[in-house]
Amino acid sequence: MNKTAFRAKLIRDFVTNKYLYLMMLPVIAFYAVFNYAPMYGVLIAFKEYSPLKGIMDSPWVGLHHFTTFFESYYFLRVLKNTLIISVYSLLFEFPAPILLALLINEVRNKTYRKVVQSATYMPYFISMIVIAGLIRDFTDSGGVINTIYAYFGGDGTAMLQHAGLFRPIYILSEIWQKAGWESIIYLAALMAIDQEQYEAARMDGAGRLKQMWHITLPGILPTIVILFILRMGNLLNVGFEKIILLYNPVVYETADVISSFVYRKGLLEFSWSYSTAVGMFNSIINLILLVLANWLSRRITSNSLW
Amino acid sequence: MSLPGTKRRKHAAFALAFLMLFTLLSGCGGSGSQADTQNSGKDANNGSGPNNAAPSEVSYPLQTDASKPLTYWAEYGSVKATMEEVPFFQEWQKRTGIPLKFVSPPAGQSRDSLNIMLASGDLPDMIEYDWFNFPGGPEKAIAEGYILRLNDVIDKYAPNLKKYLQANPDIDKMLKTDSGSYYTFPFLRGDPLLQVYQGPIIRQDWLDELGLKVPETIDDWHNMLTAFKDKKGATAPLSYIFQSEFLNNGAFIGAFGASHTWFQDNGTVKFGPMQPGYKEFLSTFRQWYAEGLLDKSIANVDGKALDTNITNGTTGATVHNSGSGIGKWLPLLEEKDPNAKLVAAPYPVLHPGDVPMLGQKDPVYTTGTNVAITSKAQNVELAARLLDWGYSEEGHMYFNFGQEGVSYEMKDGEPVYTDLLMNNPDKLSPSQAMSLYIRANYGGPFVQDKRYITQYLALPEQRSAIETWAHTDVDKYKLPQITPTPEEASELAQIMNDVNTLVDEMTLKIIMGNEPLDAFDSYMSKLKTLGIDRATEIQQAALDRYNNR
Repeated sequence: MNKTAFRAKLIRDFVTNKYLYLMMLPVIAFYAVFNYAPMYGVLIAFKEYSPLKGIMDSPWVGLHHFTTFFESYYFLRVLKNTLIISVYSLLFEFPAPILLALLINEVRNKTYRKVVQSATYMPYFISMIVIAGLIRDFTDSGGVINTIYAYFGGDGTAMLQHAGLFRPIYILSEIWQKAGWESIIYLAALMAIDQEQYEAARMDGAGRLKQMWHITLPGILPTIVILFILRMGNLLNVGFEKIILLYNPVVYETADVISSFVYRKGLLEFSWSYSTAVGMFNSIINLILLVLANWLSRRITSNSLW
Repeated sequence: MSLPGTKRRKHAAFALAFLMLFTLLSGCGGSGSQADTQNSGKDANNGSGPNNAAPSEVSYPLQTDASKPLTYWAEYGSVKATMEEVPFFQEWQKRTGIPLKFVSPPAGQSRDSLNIMLASGDLPDMIEYDWFNFPGGPEKAIAEGYILRLNDVIDKYAPNLKKYLQANPDIDKMLKTDSGSYYTFPFLRGDPLLQVYQGPIIRQDWLDELGLKVPETIDDWHNMLTAFKDKKGATAPLSYIFQSEFLNNGAFIGAFGASHTWFQDNGTVKFGPMQPGYKEFLSTFRQWYAEGLLDKSIANVDGKALDTNITNGTTGATVHNSGSGIGKWLPLLEEKDPNAKLVAAPYPVLHPGDVPMLGQKDPVYTTGTNVAITSKAQNVELAARLLDWGYSEEGHMYFNFGQEGVSYEMKDGEPVYTDLLMNNPDKLSPSQAMSLYIRANYGGPFVQDKRYITQYLALPEQRSAIETWAHTDVDKYKLPQITPTPEEASELAQIMNDVNTLVDEMTLKIIMGNEPLDAFDSYMSKLKTLGIDRATEIQQAALDRYNNR
């Protein structure tokens, strides 16, 4: 298509849909002001930022902060830990709300269903500090889990002191805290499935399991795919508050992630430029993963974000 | 794809163009306003007045414009919701005649919120903070333009502090940076009795029952802890908070001639974890851990866990403070067991009769609560007058004892706290009540009075503890408050962040048996690759400069 035709089409489109464009304005303004305007702040990743000099007048240092991060003795370890925790959460945490939604969907008793649903999404509303406190208490040497374990002959030391247990504790508690809440969106998707399909399937002699496999799952597949892609875009954003609250030097080996490392180094040392550089690195990887996941899913399922 | 699809994509392209435009515009606007703020308010200390001129005296309360309060940023914990409601701060404004507006960060988040405040460039007139430990050091805080270099300000407007510094040249030396800059109105300990407050604490009643005396050497400790475990059923005979605050003060580690941090030996700076003694310490603790003498959850012990351990008889020995340790636990223990007693033990040594190499002892200048005047201060003179008042005679009495007739009475020429503080009618603990009327238990811009501590430590156990703990060689070995240059400081911070991560991790892993003892040697060579030698060089240079001040 040539240029003039494009412009003519654009203008025509603008005229016919002028109210749509008008309605879009506040939304654009919102993103411009709150999401795009602050973006020029990433400049400080390439500068030695000093607030009183301002972003523009702080001296340039090029890729200094990035190389400092890459050359850090612990760079590979924190990157590895971040990736592993992210992949684990993708493998175990992501399917959990889907399973829960499927199970809840099979419950026919309305009251019981409500109770289960409320009980499972409740933990989501507890503050992170309290959650971490609960986890510490449960896994402590005198805590519930260890008391039971000691009864069967275990040694009962605090579980958060074992490097090998940190990731399971982290992932399991994430599931406990979030699966209920996240299952709500799947339950909503389930509501949208046409009930006649089930009737037809039953006529054809499909059992409960077959119905779930051939109707329910394909029904919510688009939702699953979209959420999966969105999730890929956040893959490296491991919840650092929780890690900081739970870890200690003995489990650094498996628990120290990019964000907690930056917290110890960047924020506590007031090195804004450094933290920004690391944050930017994190975002770039996330962006690559997001694009990749989107491309893959378009190829495989023909569902995609764009 | 179908037509609607392409149409949608065109919409998106258009929207994107829009956004780009917005981004560019807002980018330029933002940068301009940031740049503007850079130079304002920096001129206050540019004129260099003659150093020996006597600062002008004023009489308080000053006549000031009540509609223009100075802003004062500080973290202050009390039973009141805001600092404005604390009687101490109300009366402080009345006595000095200077109206104040307080800004406080949420409890425990002072570092984070200071970080945000500094990054925003929107500063109050005064900031009460640990400016000595500001990342990059106080010189950097001045050079970056956050706070003022106070030399001229003190010369002109702070006669009381000036007088104190002239009378105490050794303290004067601590308060300056290498280049001679003053940067805060400091909190100072007015007596050696106020500098020591932490050390080993043991269940005296267990010792009596088992026929043991207070342990002196590491061997004594081993015997005692074994007896606690075998005969008293203690499952965590020795338990303490295994973090730098308690490790750096050198209990146990010092017995082996090492430290968990930097120390000096005849003017030479050494890094404790690299000393051979540190390996001996690790080996001993490793053995104790394996024998069940050291708390199995040692990596996880926090204040709450320790309270539980002590009060339910899981633990018979710890390292903690006289006030928040002995003072807190003794009443709780006595409630359960009237015979329960706690006693302070000396810092352990290897051979009987040795003087412990290290122990907790704060310098006279404790850096936690020092007040700086910021570069954005509207009225530097007024701020200086307010802060200087704390070093005057009236201010000294007020900061330490509060208002006569309210929080203290004079008896035989000595100030004695009233029941309002010591026996509060609203059931506040003495330290809670004190934080409403005085600042002696909290620090601030004044010199702390020893008559505070003799009354605050109500229990005889607490008072004798301080004498027991004070008997160390720490003055000889502890590094004074040296200040690296800003460039050195950021290099040092860079190195020490990795080093501290490694030291903390390896210390616990070796003690808990996750790594063999021999791993110590390979970890020493790792410290070298992390640049510990360069860090030592920086510290040594800073110490040399300090000694030449």
